Amino acid sequence: MKQTYHPGPLAIAVAASVAAMLPLIWAGVSALRPSAEIFQYLSPLSIRTLVPTQITFDNIVALWSGQFARAMFNSALVTALTVAIGLVICSMAAFALAALNYRGRSVVFTAMIVSFLIPFDSIAVPLSQVFRDLDLQNSYAGLILPGIGNGLAVFLLRQFFLGIPRELSEAAMVDGLGWFGIFTKIYVPLSKPALIGAGLILFVFQWQAYLWPLLIAPNPDYHVASVSIASFAGQYDVDYGQMFGGAVFTALLPMGVLLVFQRYFIASFASTGSKD
Amino acid sequence: MMTAHSSSQDTATAHKAAAAPKSHRTVSEGAVAAIFLAPAIVAVLVLRIWPTGLALWQSFHVGAAGRFGLANYTFLFSDPSFHDALAATLLFSLIVNPFQIACALGLALVLNRDLPAGPLWRTLVLLPVAVPQSVSAIIMGVVFRPDGPANALLATIGLPAQGFLTTPEQALYTIILIVSWIGVGYWTTFLLAGLKEIPAALYEAAVIDGANSWQQFRFITLPQLRRPLTFVLVADTVANFLVFAPVQILTKGGPQGSTNLIMNDIYARGFLSGDMRGAAAETGILVAIVVIIVAIQFRMMTGAKSE
Repeated sequence: MKQTYHPGPLAIAVAASVAAMLPLIWAGVSALRPSAEIFQYLSPLSIRTLVPTQITFDNIVALWSGQFARAMFNSALVTALTVAIGLVICSMAAFALAALNYRGRSVVFTAMIVSFLIPFDSIAVPLSQVFRDLDLQNSYAGLILPGIGNGLAVFLLRQFFLGIPRELSEAAMVDGLGWFGIFTKIYVPLSKPALIGAGLILFVFQWQAYLWPLLIAPNPDYHVASVSIASFAGQYDVDYGQMFGGAVFTALLPMGVLLVFQRYFIASFASTGSKD
Repeated sequence: MMTAHSSSQDTATAHKAAAAPKSHRTVSEGAVAAIFLAPAIVAVLVLRIWPTGLALWQSFHVGAAGRFGLANYTFLFSDPSFHDALAATLLFSLIVNPFQIACALGLALVLNRDLPAGPLWRTLVLLPVAVPQSVSAIIMGVVFRPDGPANALLATIGLPAQGFLTTPEQALYTIILIVSWIGVGYWTTFLLAGLKEIPAALYEAAVIDGANSWQQFRFITLPQLRRPLTFVLVADTVANFLVFAPVQILTKGGPQGSTNLIMNDIYARGFLSGDMRGAAAETGILVAIVVIIVAIQFRMMTGAKSE
């Protein structure tokens, strides 16, 4: 059968792709042209709006020799540690909520997921007082800790663990494996897709964080990328070239991660949203 | 006789020996669970319960002596800034959620079709979903400057320049466009995942029965998509309730309080005006609203059988 395409849906798909990418492309181009040119070729719109007369790396060099380099390093460190520690804590909790049988399991499950589903930002202001009392302001621990417990990650891992037959654990126990061995040698190796999905959830949460780093780490030494680029916008004389450069670099890393793990990302969405 | 007796005793001992580790195991399974759960429970207590409790505690205490009272709440409900924040948040929610979900549904339906270079378009729409809202605010804030590309585009197609973020009439709608740049792609991903799970056989049967594309959408797609759609509706509502970065970076709640969404109002109350108890009371109200929405969300994530 010959496939016929309607032009309408294709036009919408192309338009949506352009709308999704164009602001980033414009920001990227602006970061690579002399600052004076950024607003020069806007009106009327022409090919010059998106094609610089000359390409300069001055903005990028200035950006990376300033505060932003430190902020990018902070973001990468904080996010990597959040994903690593968060995966350990969330998968352990999910194991206890899926593989082990005991009274009150469903109560613990409900209480934990509902507590974690309360969006973090809604309690960020009082939590910042708690963290100040614990002397965690302007520290990596203060930035990392809120990201390590994530309800969606626990939920996703538990759903996956529930699909692993209990007979496997029982057979392993006959072979002399304890519960910790069953967790590390059976559940974790079998759950790679769910672990990647949960890791992405933890990653996105921490990389996007803005309110919390603003509250808990006002010292520029502990600024993360999202706070650092916002501080460009707050300056009296905004350096648009550097600001756009910072915004594009802050966007590129999650886009790269998503490009690599796209399949797992969509699968994890499907399991939180649509599965019965 | 003796042999029989001793053998039955042996069996009993053997039974006991076999039963012992089993009963030991059922007892310790709860203990093992406690160990595995401990870090997550500590995290829940410190990161969710403690701050919520602290906010409630602070919100019910007034004056230098810190006596118990409702004054923080009565003040809040008489404060025009809080009224404006509630009104702005309500208006924002009523527009941004239907707008994003309608766009996401339309886009998911389009991207689910068999298009030329289909995976390319899906990837391009998906890519920005992990971009932080602060990045969106930074870039789109300049796009919507009066001398920025948005007005340049309007001029090119012969439309008058708009004020966007600089006028109280348009600022909130501009914020809606800014958060939707990333938001629409994000929710599209959920709906696309839901569409993929609808069995193709349903559509094939409908085509044989002579159903047109509207009828297929109305009687197959929509009912089959009900769960992911409701999930997206609830999760989107919660997320948009807490929009903060674009407001704090671009408008600080202005002009004339028109973009003073509730998270910005709490932040400004606590950290710019120094009224931590007022901020705590407002946090209490926010958490109460959010808990209701979250309870619905949890039911939908787990309770499929309640139909």
